[in-house]
Order: sequence, then C-alpha cells, then structure tokens
Amino acid sequence: MPPLDKSQLQKPFKQRKSFATRKQEVAGIRTKFPNKIPVIIERYQREKYLPPLDKTKFLVPQELTMTQFVTIIRNRMALLPTQAFYLLIDSSGLASMSLTMAQVYKDHKDEDGFLYMTYASQEMFGR
Amino acid sequence: YHCGATSQPCQATLTYDTLRFGEFEDFPETSEPVWILGKEFNALTEKEEILSDVTSRLWFTYRKNFQPIGGTGPTSDTGWGCMLRCGQMILGEALVCRHLGRDWRWVRGQKQKEEYISILNAFIDKKDSYYSIHQIAQMGVGEGKSIGQWYGPNTVAQVLKKLAMFDSWSRLVVHVAMDNTVVIEEIKRLCMPWLDFGGACAEPEGAGELNGCLEGACALAEEETALWKPLVLLIPLRLGLSDINEAYIETLKQCFMLPQSLGVIGGKPNSAHYFIGYVGEELIYLDPHTTQPAVEPYEDGQVPDETYHCQHPPCRMHICELDPSIAAGFFCKTEDEFDDWCMRIRRVSLYGRGLPMFELVDSQPSHMVSVDVLNLTPDFSDSDRLERFFDSEDEEFEILSL
Repeated sequence: MPPLDKSQLQKPFKQRKSFATRKQEVAGIRTKFPNKIPVIIERYQREKYLPPLDKTKFLVPQELTMTQFVTIIRNRMALLPTQAFYLLIDSSGLASMSLTMAQVYKDHKDEDGFLYMTYASQEMFGR
Repeated sequence: YHCGATSQPCQATLTYDTLRFGEFEDFPETSEPVWILGKEFNALTEKEEILSDVTSRLWFTYRKNFQPIGGTGPTSDTGWGCMLRCGQMILGEALVCRHLGRDWRWVRGQKQKEEYISILNAFIDKKDSYYSIHQIAQMGVGEGKSIGQWYGPNTVAQVLKKLAMFDSWSRLVVHVAMDNTVVIEEIKRLCMPWLDFGGACAEPEGAGELNGCLEGACALAEEETALWKPLVLLIPLRLGLSDINEAYIETLKQCFMLPQSLGVIGGKPNSAHYFIGYVGEELIYLDPHTTQPAVEPYEDGQVPDETYHCQHPPCRMHICELDPSIAAGFFCKTEDEFDDWCMRIRRVSLYGRGLPMFELVDSQPSHMVSVDVLNLTPDFSDSDRLERFFDSEDEEFEILSL
C-alpha cells in the first residue's frame, strides 16, 4: 500500500477556495476560452491504488467524449487497460462514456461553473 | 425509501432452529416477490422452492488445511480469501448454467451427475484444479496482488478471465467490461472468433487486452465453428464513493431479474459476499466467511459435497449497506440469449426507474483507437493567451485540445 501523499492531505478544491473566487475564476476563463469546459478532477480522498494527478484544473474541448477524456487520464496515470478506474461526476454517478463534455457539463455543472469529477478504483475485500 | 434506516433484528423467541442456525433468520413471510438469479418466487407459497434453489448454488467458503499455495505459502485463506471465494461462486454458477442448466437442483446425498462432479473438481483446493484458490491467488500475482493480499471485484474478474482460457472443457469466453461500458461488437467477436470482423482473427490494436480466445480463434476444430462460445460477462463497477448512490438501487435489483443473471460479487466494506437476489429492500447472499476443512476427493473422483452447499436460510442485508465496488455477472449460452440480454438492458435503461449502472454500445467508439493523436500536451498558443491566469496556489489550468 503506497504511503499517504500530499494530495491526500490536501483539502478538496471546493474547500480551498471561496465560492466567489471559484465563480470569478470560471467567468474569467470562459471569456477567454468560450469553447472549453472548466473541469476539476480530483482523486477520491480514500483512494489507495491510483496515483495522484499533477493537475486539478482542466480546460477540455466541449466535443470531447467521456471515453476520450477517460483514455487521456488513464494514459496519464499509465494504467493498464485491466485496471479499475471510475470517474464519478459530482461524487455520485458514473459518467456515461458516450456523452460529450458539453452534455455532461449541461447536466452536472456546479453553481460555481466548474464541472466536478472524482476518480477512484475499487475497494478491496478480505475479512 | 431512505438509506440509513436500519432493519430491526428479528426478536423472535429462541427456538431450537434459531439456536442451531445462530444468526440465520428464517426467510421472511412477505408478499413481495423474491428474485433469485433471474427466477421469481413467492415467499408465502414457495418457501421450499426458494431454499432448494439457494441450496443448489455452489457455496465456496474459507477453507483450512489445504496444500500450501505455491508449495510454501498459506494453507488457509481465512481472513484474506473472501473475494476469491466469491469469484469462485459466480464462476461456479456460470459453470452450473453451462453444463447443468439454471433449473438443475442439488439433492443431498444423491448420486450426482458426472458434469456436476467435474464442476466441483474445478474448484477443489488443489494446485492444479482450474479455478482453485491456489490458481486464483497465483494468477493474481500478474495483477499486482501477492498471495494473501485482498482482492476487489475487478481483480478476481481479471484473474478468472485468464484462468478460463485453460478450461478447454467449458470453452467459456469470460469478458470483463471495463469503464462501465459493454461493447456489443467486441463481445460478438470474442464469442464467434471465426467470423470475419473486418479481416484478421486478431483484435484491433488499441483494444490491447489479452482476450480469452486469441490463440484458439484460428485453430478451432471443425465442429466447434458455428457455435457461439458461452459468454460469462463480468461488469466491475463503482456505484458511489463511500456509499452506494441510491439512484442505482432499482437498476441493481433489475440485474437479479434478468434470466441471464449470475448475481453480483461485492460486499459490505471489507467483507465480500456473493449476492444472488433480493426481496423488498434486502439483498440475498451467500457468505464465504465460515472456515471449513479442505475436502479430499475420493479415489474414484467423487467428492464429498455437503459442505459446498449452503443448507441454512440464506443471509440478507439492506441494499444500502452494500459497498459501492461490485461486479455484476451475466451468462449467455447462445447468441440469442446475448441478443435478448441486450434488448432487456436497453429496455431497463429506457424505462427503468433508476440510473443505468453501465452503458451498452454497438461498437467501440472509433476515436478510442486514435486517442494518441489527441494533443495531450498543453496547447501553447492557448497557454500564451492564458497569460498569467494563475490562482493564489499557482495552480494553472491544463488545456486539452483535439
């Protein structure tokens, strides 16, 4: 089991910044990049198997599908195709892989304007 | 219904039976339908049938005093092997469906069919049985799990996929659908490898998976072509972070109502169970957490089999107690059964009350293969225009471009 790293000790993005700051940040970036979706992707706080990502904030083309996005993240982490990797939108539901970012954003964007995703593998069982 | 409400433990007076079965409550008297592996029962009028169906499933538990795994390893799997045992149970159910049929019943003390003995022998705790604890634990090393380490539902699914390739008797295709997506074309290619899907016998580049029938695909015996290789479809999922998202509960129940159901492997946090059905808001499961002595087959190959069947009323737990990490299993013996499964899944996702747990698509999205042409590095022209768009923690956006 890997030791705890910095990203697990760090508070989630939403808790690090005020709502006003986050909202302002989205407004600024959306003006400059109206065709890109601002996405926050964070590792599940109790995740033990998947590595942390070096970035939290992404600007993603709106026509990108979830499959493509997941493939990019999987490649970043150098995961094997057989390794479990799940992206949960808003900490609750699995993303449908055929949807585009724009579609997911429309249905799930936060009040602050970001789209929040959490990644996790699977829990292990033994007792 | 709201999760978090705990079901009241049965406070019935102690009778001989409750003493004998300890925690095993009798099956509830309810007018709600009972679903077990795609079969519907009435709890008021079909209690015997329910218990007979549950008892007929193969029950794999912790065992002790088996041959040391790997020659010098553990001789018991108590405290680590519960998910491996659940993997054995779901595959055992697939083999029962494959060789005996869903309606086959186990009768205590009766001389058993040859196929049944062969199935049981595939799981006996010896190093060379197809799906023994020895084989599963040792194949797990390739998945990054040392012997004795805990498995998740996906870990055991991946291991079973590899082990099934050596089982020439069952000729199963074990397919593990990743990224909560089931691709119909991929499955048809695996189950009918002799058909020409765009030319070669091989998988396209980029699928990159070691699939069950690559090597066998081009060298099949004549009589085997034209026959669909029986499919065991395992779908590992994560239905929430720390708790199951309630929007999935109705869809999860639907899994047990499909005739192709092999149940679900998963558990409560830390403890693996094999879920075979539900009644009301409770899941019905077989529990591997009983340590029994390893069984030695007789000289003639017969196996003393009483300890491989759960003869007390099955365990139940509230659906909300389910850990979100699971794998759902389905068995399709023929292409028609698979087509029927696809039709039913589509119906559930169109008209069902819950959120779909996975997506069913006709073909692998074409861009899947061409992902490496995506620009994975930050787009520098964009970055320039981004100028000093830093936040207080110096966190920059990473810009992805097509």
